[in-house]
Order: sequence, then C-alpha cells, then structure tokens
Amino acid sequence: MSVRERNRVRESGVAGARPMVFAHGFGCDQSMWRFVAPEFEADHRVVLFDHVGAGGSDLSAYDPDRYGSLRGYAADVVEICRELGLADAVFVGHSVSAMIGVLAAQQAPDAIGALVMVGPSPRYVDDEGYAGGFSRADVAALLESLDSNHLGWSAAMAPVIMGNPDRPELAAELTNSFCRTDPEIARRFARVTFLSDNRADLPGVAVPTLVLQCSEDTIAPEVVGRYVHEHVPGSVFTQLAATGHCPNLSAPEETTAAIRAFLGAR
Amino acid sequence: MAPPPAGSPADRPPELDRLLDDDPAELYENAPCGYFSATPDGRLVKVNRTFCEWLGRPAATVLGRRFPELLGVGGQVFYETHMAPLLRMQGAVREVALDVVRADGTPLPCLVNAVEVRDRSGAPVLVRATVFEATSRRRYERALLDAQRVAAESEARSRTVQHVVSELAAATSARQVAEVLVSRSREAVGASGAALWLAGERGEAVRREEEHGEPRPVPAVELVASAGLPADWLAEMAGAAAGAELVRDGAVHTVRLGAGLRAVWPGLAERLTAAGQESLVLVPVGADTAHLGVLVLVLGAAGDTELVDLTEPGTRGELPRADEELLATLGRQAAQTLVRVRLHEETVRHAARSAFLLESARLLAQAPGVAESAERLADLVVPRLADLCVVDLTTEHGLTRPVARHADPALAGPVAELGERHLPRRRGGHPTAEALRWGRTVWVREVTDDWLARIATDDRHREIAGALGLADLLAVPLVADGRVLGVLTLGTGRSRGPFRPADVEVAEQLALQVAQTLDRAQRFELEAGTSHTLQANLLPPAPPPVPGLAVAVRYLAAGRGADVGGDFYDVVPLSEGEVALAVGDVVGHDITAAAVMGQLRSVYRAHLADRPAPGALLQRLQAGWSLLGLQRMATALFASLEPGSGRLRVVSAGHPPPVVVTGGHAELLPVHPGRMLGAPAARAEEWSGVLPLGATLLLYTDGLVERRGVDLDAGLALLLAAAARSAGAGADELCDRLLAELAGGQRQDDVALLAVTRLTG
Repeated sequence: MSVRERNRVRESGVAGARPMVFAHGFGCDQSMWRFVAPEFEADHRVVLFDHVGAGGSDLSAYDPDRYGSLRGYAADVVEICRELGLADAVFVGHSVSAMIGVLAAQQAPDAIGALVMVGPSPRYVDDEGYAGGFSRADVAALLESLDSNHLGWSAAMAPVIMGNPDRPELAAELTNSFCRTDPEIARRFARVTFLSDNRADLPGVAVPTLVLQCSEDTIAPEVVGRYVHEHVPGSVFTQLAATGHCPNLSAPEETTAAIRAFLGAR
Repeated sequence: MAPPPAGSPADRPPELDRLLDDDPAELYENAPCGYFSATPDGRLVKVNRTFCEWLGRPAATVLGRRFPELLGVGGQVFYETHMAPLLRMQGAVREVALDVVRADGTPLPCLVNAVEVRDRSGAPVLVRATVFEATSRRRYERALLDAQRVAAESEARSRTVQHVVSELAAATSARQVAEVLVSRSREAVGASGAALWLAGERGEAVRREEEHGEPRPVPAVELVASAGLPADWLAEMAGAAAGAELVRDGAVHTVRLGAGLRAVWPGLAERLTAAGQESLVLVPVGADTAHLGVLVLVLGAAGDTELVDLTEPGTRGELPRADEELLATLGRQAAQTLVRVRLHEETVRHAARSAFLLESARLLAQAPGVAESAERLADLVVPRLADLCVVDLTTEHGLTRPVARHADPALAGPVAELGERHLPRRRGGHPTAEALRWGRTVWVREVTDDWLARIATDDRHREIAGALGLADLLAVPLVADGRVLGVLTLGTGRSRGPFRPADVEVAEQLALQVAQTLDRAQRFELEAGTSHTLQANLLPPAPPPVPGLAVAVRYLAAGRGADVGGDFYDVVPLSEGEVALAVGDVVGHDITAAAVMGQLRSVYRAHLADRPAPGALLQRLQAGWSLLGLQRMATALFASLEPGSGRLRVVSAGHPPPVVVTGGHAELLPVHPGRMLGAPAARAEEWSGVLPLGATLLLYTDGLVERRGVDLDAGLALLLAAAARSAGAGADELCDRLLAELAGGQRQDDVALLAVTRLTG
C-alpha cells in the first residue's frame, strides 16, 4: 500500500507552484476543505489527504502504537511530503492538525516552509497555570459521550452497509458519511487529540506561522489561540469573525482571505 | 353505495374538526417534539414551546444563543467537529445523540435531526431542527455501552491471561518468565512500573564471611526483571520486596503511599510521592505452599506515555477487584512456570556439570606434569565455570607464581601482571590465603570495592582487580591425602552473575580431581628428580687422563620425567699403564635401577683391586650377585686396554658389542654376548685382540641404538654408518657427533657412551 493510497492523497492546482498541504482535524476528513482548497488551486500545488483512520484512508494501516501519539500522524505527513517531493510547503492544519504540523515541521524542516493553524490548541486539558478550556472531568465526559454517537455504526454493521450498495434503505444509514469511521479508531483518535500536550514544542517552531482564531470557539477558545501565538516565535494572530470551530466550512471566504493575506505578506 | 370509511370528514366529531382546523402555529408550539431554527452559525432564532418546556427555560433566554451552548461538553465538541460540518457539507444530519442541559443542570438525552435551508446560490440561510426526547433509548444505549465495556474489559483480562499462559509455555528460563509477568501485568493494569523479585536460590542459609568472621544473611531476594522503574526506586524497593512476608497469605495487597509506608520505607515513599505515584501493589508469586517471590507494581502518574493522564490525582492508586484477581492469577501462573523452568534448568545444568567433570578428568589424566596440570585446569575452567581462574600451587616458599586466566582476551595483560606481580604478594585475609590456611572453601559473595581495597596488596592490584568487574570469588583448596597442594581460585564477572551452590559443588569436585592428579604428578616428579640426583652422584666424575689414550665419556638422561636409567660407565687406570673400561645397563628406568647401578659399580671397583682379567672379573660378579641381594639384572661390557701395545680384552654380559673405528671404517667387535648379570652363572668367553694405533674403541648402552619401530640390527647398522662418517675425529668429537645423529629428541632411554682412542706418538 503506497503512501498516496494509505492517506488518500489528492493533488490539484499548479504543478510547479508552491505546495499547500491541507490537513483535516478530529471529526471528518479532507472534504472539510472543499470550500477553501479550490481557492488556492490557481496559484498553488494543492495537496489534500485523510489521516489514517479517517475518511477514505486505508483503515487496515491503522496501528494503535504508531497512532498512539501525534508523532505517528506527523510521520505520515512527512512521508507524504517525501513521496510528493514537496519543499517549502504551506501546511494548513485544522484543529489537532495544527500541532501535527508543528511536529512534522520539526521532523522535516526542508519540506514545510510555513504553518497555518486553524483553531489550534497545544493542550485541551487545564493544567497548573494553563487554561486549555477543559477540566479532566470534561474530557472524560467528552470521550464518553463521543461513544454514544458511534453506536450507530458498529464495526459489525460496517461490512453489511458497505457490501450492499443496491439496498437504498442501508445506504440511508450512510447519511452522516463524511464523519464516519471505525468507532474504535475514532475513540483512539479522540484520546490522542484531547490528551496530547504539545506546549513544549511551540517555541521550537522556526517557520512563519499564522494562528487563525474563531469567535466563540468552545473547543479552542481565544485564550488558547493567544497562548499559541505568544509561544510560537514571530507568529501572526488573526481573529476571525466566524464563530464555532470550523471557519473553513462556516466562513470559507474569510478564512481564505486571512490565509492569502498571511502568504501575501511574506 | 358503500358507507364512507371511519374517520372521513363526514363522520368526524365536530370537536376533532375544530382541532384539525387549528392554527399551524399552535401545532408548532405544542408538537410532541422540540423544534428550533437557527442561523447557519448555530444561533437560535426560533424555538417551540415544547423544547422550551423540556429545557425549563423561557424562549426569551434561549433565543440569540448558539445551540451548542445548550449542550454538555461532549455535545459541544460533537456539534463542532461533526454535526456542524456535516450540515454544511451534506445539508442534513440524522439521529445525532446529544445531551441538552436543562435549567436545573440535569441532562436531557435527545436525538436531533436537522436540515440546512439554502438559497438559490446554495448559500446557507437557516438550520431547522427537530429534537426528540430519547431518555429511555439513551438509557438502553448507555446500558448497552456499559455492558460492552464490561465485556471488553473482561475479555481484555482473559486475553491477558491467555497471552501470559501461552508466553509462559514457551519460557525456558526464570528470566523469561519474569519478563512476561512484569510486562503483561504492568500493561494489564496500566501500572507506571513493575518489577519482580524472586527469593534467591541461595536462600537465607548461605552466609557471607565478613571481615571479622561475623556471618550475615545475604539478601533473600533477587531482582529478576523490571520495567518502567528507575534504578534508585528499584534499590529502595528491594528492601520492601525483601519484606515479602506481606504476601505470604497469598493475597494481592495494595499499599497506599501514606504515613504507614513512609514510616517503614521513608526513602521509597519520598521518591514515589515526588514522582506522582500513589500506591504499591504487591502480588505474591507462589505455587501451592512455595513462596517464590513477589511482583511489585507501582500505580500513579504514568511516566512513559505522551498523553495527559485523565484520572484525577489521588484516584490512581486503587485497583478494581477484578484486576487484583487477574494479578493473583498471573502470579500463580508464573509461579507454576517457574517451578517447571527451574526443574528444567537444574536438569540441564546437571548434565552440563557431569559432562564438564568427565572432560576435566580426561584432560587432567593426560597432563604430563604439575605445571601442565595447572595450565590445563585454567584452560578448562575459563570460561566454562568462571570468568577468572587462578591456580596456585604450594612450594616450600608458600604460594608463588600462580597460573592466571581470564575469559576476556582484552584483560590478558592486566591478568598476566596480576599473576606475576601482585598475587605472589597476597596477604592473609585474601580468600586464596584463607583457603590455603584452613583447607576449606571460601566463597566471597558480592565483591565490593571496599572489600577489594582491603585485600589488595597495593593500589595497582586494586585497580586491576577492580577492572575485572568481579561479582563473586571462590577459593577452593586442592587437598590430597590431607595435604593442601594448592588453591583453585575462581571469579565470576557481573554479566555471568554470582556463583550458585551447584557451581561451588562442581568447583569442589574439580579441585578434588586436580588435587589427585597433582599429587600423582608431584610424587612422580619428586621421584624423577631424586633418581637423576642419585644417578648423577653415582656416576664417576670425569675420567682421569691416561697416557697414550684419549678418553671421552657422555651420559644423557632419557627425555622425560622420572625415566632415569641404570646406565653407567667407568674408566679406571690400573698399575703399569693398563686401563679398565666398563659400560653397563641395569634393567629398568627408576630409582631402583639407579641404586643397583651404584652398587654394581662399587662392587666392580672393589674387584679391580687385584687386577683380574675381564673374564675373571665377570665370573666373580656373577658368582656374588645373589649375595649382593641386587634386585635387578644388568648387562655390561668389561674391558682392559694396554695403551702401549694396544692389547685389548673384552667380555660381555649380554651387552651390545663394542665398535672399533679405524681408517674411515667402523666394525663391531665379535665379542660373544654371554649371560646377563643376575642370570644363572656360566663361563663367559673373553675376546682378545689389538686396538691399532689411531683406532677408537667405542662402548655404549642400548639407548644409543634402540628406538621405537627400529630393530636392534638396523640400529647397529646406523651406528656403524655414523661412526664410519666420523672416523678420524677424536674421541670427544666422535661422541658428540654420534649423540647428535643417533640420540635425538625422542630418546626413550638413557645413553652412556665411552670412547677411547689409542693415540699415535
């Protein structure tokens, strides 16, 4: 299984132009970038991919040890960059992928030349002298409640659904398809996402970085975005009017404009 | 005409008609499900009464807020990461399970369906959602999840047991058993670290000799495997593990890091607390009544995962009952395997020991002497039994010049220096000296730097000894017939680990074998030395000068050890210029032969006093042989030579004939070989003739002409050929050449050689 197939890598845009790699966060898959990525195809080489365990990635490549920390996901990003021969790429990471980008840039400084962090958080769980927005109990409740929504698509049912395309009543079960995956993998990814602590990695970021902060984002509150901005040397902080955690979907124009402004200023 | 169906408008009661004609707004407000509408970013713009009643909030306090604000934390995250993106991407979501938080703080489990209303360009305008109360459905799901979780946990436990059982089945050493137990049990209960101590096979009965002779019990437990625990914790925990009395009741004990632990093991409690650890779990490793050891797990903040630990500090030190039972099971399984593995290891060791002792017996039996025995012993012991071997043999000066060997070739230099310079200066207190003095085994366990400093003769000695990295030292005396012949000193390196009692037993058996071999070799060499000394004393000094003759004598002892011969020669000037010559060979190669030779020569000389002819002399010797009580027979040639006339008379008592070398030619004198001395007497025929001027008469013993695989005639032919080639050489040179040519390194017998040249002029 090649890296391209493993991570369902999709390329578009201008072959020789500066690469932009879009990485989705916890929840769905590369379709999260459907309103943003095309905006850059005119003057960039656009690369989209799914993290292993999400969307159209190869689920059989999921190794609980490798993906037991964000380093495993970052290693995948580096492998994609190597496979595609990327240099000086703009890595646009949403949510948890912002930190995956930080780790990937550590591992392959030549491949990644700029970071765009959309709704980043280096640590969700509060700590002494640090407000991540979630208490331990919150995260425990969150991890538990995520299980509730994974009940509908048990691992046992998946083959039935996937194997009967001619039965529309089963296809209806696929309604929430963009965000579906093996519940066990989803559970593990949630743990890695919400239990990681990458605060110590921030001061080492050596590439131009943009922090895009949404309004009223309960997952990555403004105080956390500010924290990232203050700890990544020379980073740019842009406050969006967009609310929630997914400006790439809810406010693609504003998001695109902010990224363009950041890249144009370079 | 058929009647209209029931429920048709014509049939309906007016009251029902009134309700059905009711305002749709009334239906919206009081529908049996919640309705709300929100802007695309989730802000509520319309909400029905049913939903407000469920929430326990008036509509005015709800409108304008974002929908996720009504949810619990899990719901908020799910809304942001799944529901909102899905709505945007596919326009609708179905049956999303969310907990709405009511005004009183209680959760209301709901299922939410939502659609996104878009304008003609596809831009989102509004979100419409229906909310269904799902308390019982969610309760059922929760029960299902809980059951699933319990089943998964129980399955994980039984999987752990299965893994452990199959991995233990493949284990062939105690270390492997320990590693399986430590890693699996640590993983199973999420412990931050685990370690296994086993009761040492030495037990408490074995004691270490301290400097002042006070024995103390050695630590009763040994660390066999550990994971996730730093060395300083392990050192502190060893004390705790040694107090394994705690687990003798066979139950798993959880010891919280509290005042009690601090009182007993303050160092350990301090380190664990500082690292966020909360309790120790002690798991007995025992089978039936045998307490083999204790598995200790540390519970608390995990040190080696990158993920944040969600458990609140203070709640990590408790194990569920099921986990305690799991650990107890693993402990029992490991113990049963340990018993099997130890039996197996013992059998293998026993076979190896027997083979080793058998081989050592074979090798030692072939060692020709004391020094060789010591060398072979050292070669044998390193590295099979030990990493260091020193063999000391006692001499009249005590222990000197030991043989020293080490398994590591890189240490050959220092070890040689040890043997040559430092060991000869050992003092009392050194285990070797102690073993020598007391004649019993001395076992030094756990060689420490302090101990080395005490026994070292100087700093360099201590430096070398330290570099050897010794774990244990063992000094075993070599005792035979109650005499201490030396000491076998063995050392193990840290990687090999300490000696086991079985090793000590092997060393003692080996020492017994060696002592017997040494004893035999020493007696043999003593006897050989004595015979040579005796023989050298019995042989006459260099012959006196005789006018008219050049006389040369040679005596070569046999090549090996105690094979001393009874060969002799004698040159005695008689009156009137006559010279009596004799060469003889007493049967046997030992001290008795040498003694008989000495006696024979004395009697021979006594008989020469009245100058009997050689034939008469032989007759007298034969006649008196039995009176002399000599225990061995002998062959001999007796001759008399008048230098002036060259008159030569020779008689033989079963001895090889003399050779005459003259004018580039050598021949045997045809002397009749009469009976040997010691055989029944018979008249001997005397040969009489003239030795020409310039000719050389050569008398010799059979060592010169006998060699393995060559018969006597061939040997004589070689002698004649060699002598002919040396014709013209003087007596001395002839002797040297013959010995060089005929008596090579493989000589098996002594050689006596007597050459007399009749000088011209």
